[in-house]
Formats: sequence, structure tokens, C-alpha cells
Amino acid sequence: MNHLRYGRATFLLELVMIAVAVAFMFPVYALITLSLKNPAQIAEAPLSPPAPPTLDNFAKAWSSAALGPSLMNSTIITVASLVALIALGSFAAYFLARVQTRLGYGLYILFLLGIVLPFQLGTIPLYQLINNLGLIGSPAGMILFYTGVQLPFTVFLYTGFIRALPREYASAAQIDGASHLTAFTRVVFPLLRPITGTVLILNAVFIWNDFFTPLLYLGGSGFETVPVSIFAFVGQYVSDYGLVFAGLVLGALPIVVIFLVLQRYVIKGFSSGLKG
Amino acid sequence: MSVTSRSGSPPTTGTPAGTPAAPAPRRRRAGGRFGAALSPPWLFAAPALLVYALVVLYPSIAGVVYAFTDWSGIGGDMSFVGLANFRTMLGDDQALGSIGNTVLLTIAIVVVQNGVGLLLALGAHARIKSRTVLRVVFFAPVVVSPVMIAFLWKYIYNPDPHAGLNGLLGFFGLPGHDWLGDPSLALWSIAGMVVWQNAGYSMVIFLAGLEGVPVELHEAAMIDGAGTVQRFRFVTWPLLAPALTINLMLSTIGGLKLFDQVFAATNGGPGYATETLSTVLYKQAFVYGKFGYSTAVALVLALFVAAVSFVQIYYLRSREVAQ
Amino acid sequence: MPPVPDRLRDAKVSRAQFFRLMGGIAVAAMAPASLAACSTRPETTGAAAGGSGATQLSFVGVADQKTPMDALVAAYKKVAPQVSIGASYAPTDQVQTSLRTQLGAGNAPDLHVVYPGNGSAMSMSQIASAGLLADLSAQAWTKTIPTGFKPAFQQDGKTYIFSAGSSVIGAIYNKKVFQEAGVEAPPTTWTEFLDVCEKIKKAGKTPIALGAQTPWVTQLITYALVPSTVYAKDPTFDDKQLAGQATFAGSGWVQAMEMYLELQKRGFFNDNPNGTTFEQQTSMVATGKAGMAIQVSAVLPDFRKAASGPDDLSMFPVPGADDAAQVWIPAGVVVGLGAGAKSKHLDQATAFIDFLGRQENINAYAKAISAIPLTQDANSTIDPAVESFLPFTKDRAVPFMDQRWPNAEVQPTHFAVVQDLLAGRTSIGDALKKMDEAYKK
Repeated sequence: MNHLRYGRATFLLELVMIAVAVAFMFPVYALITLSLKNPAQIAEAPLSPPAPPTLDNFAKAWSSAALGPSLMNSTIITVASLVALIALGSFAAYFLARVQTRLGYGLYILFLLGIVLPFQLGTIPLYQLINNLGLIGSPAGMILFYTGVQLPFTVFLYTGFIRALPREYASAAQIDGASHLTAFTRVVFPLLRPITGTVLILNAVFIWNDFFTPLLYLGGSGFETVPVSIFAFVGQYVSDYGLVFAGLVLGALPIVVIFLVLQRYVIKGFSSGLKG
Repeated sequence: MSVTSRSGSPPTTGTPAGTPAAPAPRRRRAGGRFGAALSPPWLFAAPALLVYALVVLYPSIAGVVYAFTDWSGIGGDMSFVGLANFRTMLGDDQALGSIGNTVLLTIAIVVVQNGVGLLLALGAHARIKSRTVLRVVFFAPVVVSPVMIAFLWKYIYNPDPHAGLNGLLGFFGLPGHDWLGDPSLALWSIAGMVVWQNAGYSMVIFLAGLEGVPVELHEAAMIDGAGTVQRFRFVTWPLLAPALTINLMLSTIGGLKLFDQVFAATNGGPGYATETLSTVLYKQAFVYGKFGYSTAVALVLALFVAAVSFVQIYYLRSREVAQ
Repeated sequence: MPPVPDRLRDAKVSRAQFFRLMGGIAVAAMAPASLAACSTRPETTGAAAGGSGATQLSFVGVADQKTPMDALVAAYKKVAPQVSIGASYAPTDQVQTSLRTQLGAGNAPDLHVVYPGNGSAMSMSQIASAGLLADLSAQAWTKTIPTGFKPAFQQDGKTYIFSAGSSVIGAIYNKKVFQEAGVEAPPTTWTEFLDVCEKIKKAGKTPIALGAQTPWVTQLITYALVPSTVYAKDPTFDDKQLAGQATFAGSGWVQAMEMYLELQKRGFFNDNPNGTTFEQQTSMVATGKAGMAIQVSAVLPDFRKAASGPDDLSMFPVPGADDAAQVWIPAGVVVGLGAGAKSKHLDQATAFIDFLGRQENINAYAKAISAIPLTQDANSTIDPAVESFLPFTKDRAVPFMDQRWPNAEVQPTHFAVVQDLLAGRTSIGDALKKMDEAYKK
């Protein structure tokens, strides 16, 4: 914890942290090792490095899951939902953070209610609703769903952040004659970049990984998302760890790669989002 | 299987440090010289409110009605039974037992996840060379689907002395366990899996709090002769209060609503050892075909989560203010 | 069940109106997204049917159905090129959740998985009673359903489910392990069975691999024994139990549970069965670490995939009695499919099921899952591993127990109490009492 110089204590701390990280990675090691082995190798020595490694599991998982089109579907649904969430969420939060009335505060609490409601409560009425809108089997239905379901959390994040912003920016712009709309889009929204990063990654992770909803709304439509395709072959009777784990690696890979590429922004987004 | 839950996605926040998530509106009234006149129009919130009402509020309210019926979940047969479902719950060993499990699991997750998260944050905040890499490593599981994590950990927890965690323990000469198969251990094993996935998440929030602690304060304390422990106790810890509030609140909600991981790892077993309110309401609705009763359980869970969150926010906020 | 009160009906009408109103608003609000999505979306609904005459049917099935269904869907494309079937598969729990939701909301897929008989939330009886399955009784194949299987297919004399045949529960064993332990032939009495286990144990292997962490695996040993301890003595046990004249706790179920636990007490199971999964169980037998697993024949393909050669494995009936003539076996109709009664393409959906009911397709479906075909002709094949069960199927076989249970709670209770028994946390009497309570709900 010495903030000032790299002394012996810091060096020891570094060693301890690296040891912890290595232990922490053990499940990931098991995942990758097993995905590169055939059943006989797994039965013989599950944890030793694969010798020789085989990519058969990946080939099989890729072809049975038809991942190409699923990647496309997942991307369309995730990106469109994020755009809608950021647009609706930031506008609403700007209002909720600035409004001074009790009604406005009540509205904020109403949004927060969405965070504690168990999803099971509204499953069937919501399905009927999406069905009546004619959006079953269509990515548009999923986009509507994710936008609504993730709004409470998005509004919560944005509102907290905007409350801590000095009002003078927007006020100054308005004195110059700008409308609320212009003041928000030109002045306030750019200031929200750190928290937008946080909103983006957290919602993206949730939407990309969600399995039950796309199965419910998109099953059999040809618009299956990646998790739906992956779990299509992780069935009751699949006994081959290597194959299942290869499927898990393939399913997790896109989001992990995006995280690794953007990690600087993701983690910074958290930090600066929090600092205000 | 995200069979389902939103709780599966790690909850989070990025509320600016020191800013209450839900302050009474007047607290900041003095902030703007131009006051309410410059408050943005209602129209700004209208589209979000519409979508939210359509997708969350309306279905939840419509769903609550089922809690007072004996609907099986399919078909047209349904009659109102008043409060019978809630009375049934009072004599339902499975539901009552699950409340205890839910609370124990939540406490374990909240305590360990935040304890580990704080230690990781303190370590990764220090001037060590690998800190960027360490942050990435510890945070990475957060972005992976909880269902996939549960699949992986089911293997890690298998009782074979040569595979998974037991294999690793055996390598160091330690005895293995039947992590998910031993009824007295299974609940804690699930907590361990959840902590592994979400500790990095708590870490990142604590890190953001730590970065808000001015270095000058530490320097001043050092000059006053304060040791590492004292500096943590009197300088760092009080300033971490907002981050702690957020972490506690989110891990509590996540723990109480936890479903995916329990379902994928043990399905509530062995026996009923890991049955939680979420798995019970799931089974009632989709396995036993008692949708009405399930909705009643869901309603109880929602009220429980709301009450706990409210008390928690109220208590922690007052603690922050006191400091 | 009491009729729906009028007030609720009214509420539903107004709710539909509300939906339409809200729907209009939402569509307007979401217009950009919908338009973007529509441009890439293949036509799936009525509009297309009117235009080109093409129909898209949806099918939602469990993962076990993927192999046979993929092949038969492709075959159907040649017979009926204007109909395409969009199929999706997922693990059983997920399918059950999403299908129950869809059925509850009144919008089931055109075709979907159905479990035979009663006893689960996705079983033929439960869904047909709700009026949500199409009546298939007019189709030719339904006329030849063997009498003993009719309760699995029919409710009130009408057929609601297609299934390609039956599977049996018995011991899947590794021939090499048996040979090395000096076991000449599969046992035919319970005492012989215990002797075989003892020999394998002495040879240093696990006699019986048990993956009781996977809930459905817990029931298989009871199911293998109960035909001999209950039904061989009283073939009408199910009817008596339904009439409230028989119970689990006061029947041969006690004996079956005692035999189950005797296997554990004598160390014939692997350590920690409650922490062991189906996957590990499979691998233990396939790779020769264990001698056998008591399993359903439908998983034979999975065991073979995990073995070095498909001929390493075979199967024999578990003898649940010491008089070989009193040994009965469980033989149940395999998971099948039905057509949604409210499907917009009901004719095309039932036409596909009619296609599945052709003898050559029954043969193909059954072969893919090692099942005994529902009806047989010269081209029918029966997996050599299950041949030893055929002498029983005529008059010494009973359907899987849950297929006659009146509600969906008994089976999960059975899973849980077996895990508790294996963990030493309950007694046989209490366990069966719990099942009796669930049965009465």
C-alpha cells in the first residue's frame, strides 16, 4: 500500500497479487485445456496440458451451433438495444436529475422499482404483449424488450452522474438562447461520456449473454442469438466435456475479445463514471 | 439458461462518488442559479417512461393478478382464490426452507465478494507494475454469461480427486471435497462460484473510490506517524463509504434474486439443500404447473428485496452523512 | 376446476383492447427499429402464405431430438418443398420454461416437444387437458399404436402425441470390465446381480457408476427395480394408486428403495454420487473405470461416443427379483412431439406429423435414438444392445412410472428424496411419505 515508491514491500505485494491472479485463472485454464482434448485424454489426465491438442471440438461446436448467422443476430440486437437505451435513458435521466418537483422524484423511484422486480412476475403478460404487437420471432421484439428491461438501471446510472454535474454548463448555453434540446445534445451529453461507457458495457454484457429471453421470443425463427445456438447442443445427453467446453469458449469469445480490446475504456469508464 | 434472470447480469453502478443515488430533491436545489425555470420539459422522460411502462410496469402489474388465482400456467381454467396462495406458503416446507437458504447465500456472497473485492482493489491500487493486467484478469469473468460460468464450475467442483478443484488441492497435498454433492457444503460452493465471477466487479467500484482519495491525505497522515493500518482505518475507509454503499446494495439485490447459477449448478439439490426463493418460484411455475402460487412467491420475493434494499440504503446513507 | 368468473373474462377482453392500443403506440415509437429489422427478416407469416404458397413452421424441441429431427426435417423438404420447418433445440429445462410461457400466453409454436403420458408439466395429458394439443386421431399411424402404449399417447381415446417408439431402462455395461472381472454372462436374478457387483469391486473397479447430481439420473435405479418389486405382483398398482387404494410407502416401493440403498451400503457405487454428473457417469463406464450404469437405452449413443469402440458396450435388464420369472422391466414411450391446437398452420403441422408416422420414418427416428420402433416392418432395426429386453416387452414390461402419475410434483420429489437418501439425510419411510404427499396434491 505504499503509494510513493517501489520498495521491498511493494515487490512482495506484487508477488502475492500475481500468485492470487494465477490461482484465480485456474478455472479458465481447466476450461481451455479440456476444450483441446478428446474424451480419452480427458478421462486419463484431465488437468495436464493437452498432448497433442486437438481442435476437433471447436470444429464440431462451430458447425453444430451454426454460429455465423447467430453472431450477426446477436450483434444487431445488442447494438440497436444499446442505441435505444442510451438515447432514452440519458434524456430521461437529464429530466429526472434536474426536475425539482415531488412528482419528478416519484417518477425516479418508479424507475428504480424496475431493479428489484423479479422478472418472473411479468413473463406471461409481456409475452402476450409482444405477441399482440406481432414481434415474436423478430429482432425488433427483442430490442423493445431489452430497452424496457434495462432502462431502470440505465436511468439509475445516468441520473446519479448528472446530479453531480455542475448545472452552470447547460444554464450558460441556455442563456445564450439555446433550447433544452440543443443544450442537452451539444453541452450535457458530451459530458456524459464516462458514464455512457459504463452504461454501454454493462448493458452489452447483459444483452449479449442473455439466454432465456431470445429462446422464448426467437426460438425457431431463424434469428437465434449466440447463447441460444450454443446451448442447442449442450443438451441433456451431451456427455463430452471437451465439446461442451469448446462451445462455451466459442460463445464467450466475442464478448471477451471486445472486453480485452476495450479494457482500458471499460475499466476507466467505471472509474471516471464513479468519480464524476 | 439464463433461464432467466436479470439478476444474472452483474449489477453495477457508476454513480459519481459521494452522490446519493436517491437524494431528496431539495438537497441540491441550491446548485443551480436558475432553479426550476430551467428544468427540462417532461417530454424528455416521456419516451423512456412509455417503453418502461409497456415492457416492465404493465406486465408486472398484470402478472400480480395471477398471485390471487389457481391458474396452472396454461389453458383457460382459472379461478380467484383470494389469499389462499399466501396461506399455502406458510405451510410449505420447501418455500419456507428456501427463505433461509436465500438469506444465508446472500450474506455469504455480500460479505465474501466485497471483502475479496476490497482486498483486490487495495492490491491493484498500489504502485505495482502488473496492476493493469491484474485489473483485466480479475474483471474478465464479469463479462461472461453466468450460465456458462456455472457450467464451467460444475466441472471445477466435481468430486473426482484428479479433476477440477480437487485435482488442484491434491497437487498441494490437500484433501478434496464433494463440493456440490455434499448437502452441507453445496450452498457455500455456489457462493464461491458467484464470488469468483463478481469479485472483480466489486474491485472496480472500490478502485474508483480509492482513486478519489487524495494522496495528500495519506502523506499528511504519514507525517503524523500513522502506520498502514491506521491510514486505512482513518483515511481510506471513510472515503470509501459511497463505493461500499453501492457494492453492498448491488450484491445484496443480486444475491437475493440469484437464479441462473443455482439452477445450472445444483437445480436446488442435493435434496432441497440449495433451494432458494428464485428456484422455488421457478419450479412452481414451470415444473409443477402452479403458476398462481409461483406468482405469489415472486411477489413475496419482490417485497422482500425492496424492503431490504430500502433499509440498506437508508442505513448506509445515514452512515455516510454521519461521517 | 371451477369455471372462470365472468368478471375475469371481461377483464380479458378489455386487456386485449388495451394491448391493441398500446401496440399501436409502441409500433409507432419503435418504427425505426422495426423497419430496420423487417428488411432483413424472412417472411414467416400469413402474408407469405398468400403470395408464394410457402409456409414456415416452427418447431421447438429438446436437445435429444436434434439428431433424428434434423434428418427428418431435411427429408420432408423433398416431400413438401413448399413447407420449411424452422427448428430450435435447447436443454430440457429451458425448453420447458419457454414452451410453458408460450402456451400460457396462447402462442405456442406450430410443433413442439411433448412428453408421453402424464406426470410432467410438458406431458401430453397436462397440455391436452388444457386444450392446447391438436387431435391426431385421424392419422393412419395412430390406428396401430400397441394397446399397452395407448395411455402414453391418448387422452379420452384421442391421440395427441407422436413418438417413434420406446426405450428401456437397464444396465449399460462395459464388456471388457465384465470379462476382466470374470463375469461370464449378465445376471438374471438379484442375487446374481449382487455377485457380479462384488466381482467387479474385487477386480478394483467401480461396479455401478451413478451420476445423481443430474436430477433425472436419480430415478433410474428405482425405475429399474419397481417393475419387479411392485408391478410383477400387482400389474394394476397404478389404477389402485389413482383410486387412493395404494401408496408408495405401503408397497413394493419400500423394497426397491432398500435394494437401491443396499447397493450404496455395499460400496457398489462410485464415491460421492450426489456430486457426480451424468457426463462423468457416462465417461466412467465408457472408459472402463466402472462396470456399468443403470440408464435409459436412449443414451446408448452418448455412451458409445465416449467409448473407444462402439462394441465395448452392451445392455442387460436389471433383475429386480430372485425368481427370474418375476423380473419385469420398465419400457417407456420416448419423448415425442405434438402440434399446437391453435397453430395458424394446423394442417401443414399435422401433415408433417403424419409424415413422421410413416413406417420408414418411424424406423429412421427410432434408429437414431436406439429406440424400439413403435411399429415394425421388415426394414425396422433394433439396436443389438437392447435385444435382451425384447422377450420382456410383450407382457413383463411397464411404462416409466411417472407417465401415470397425476401431477408434475411427484417426479421432482422423487429426485430430491433419492439425493437425500444417498446423503443419509432421510429414511426410506419419510422419503416415500413425502412422495405420497406430492402424489395427493
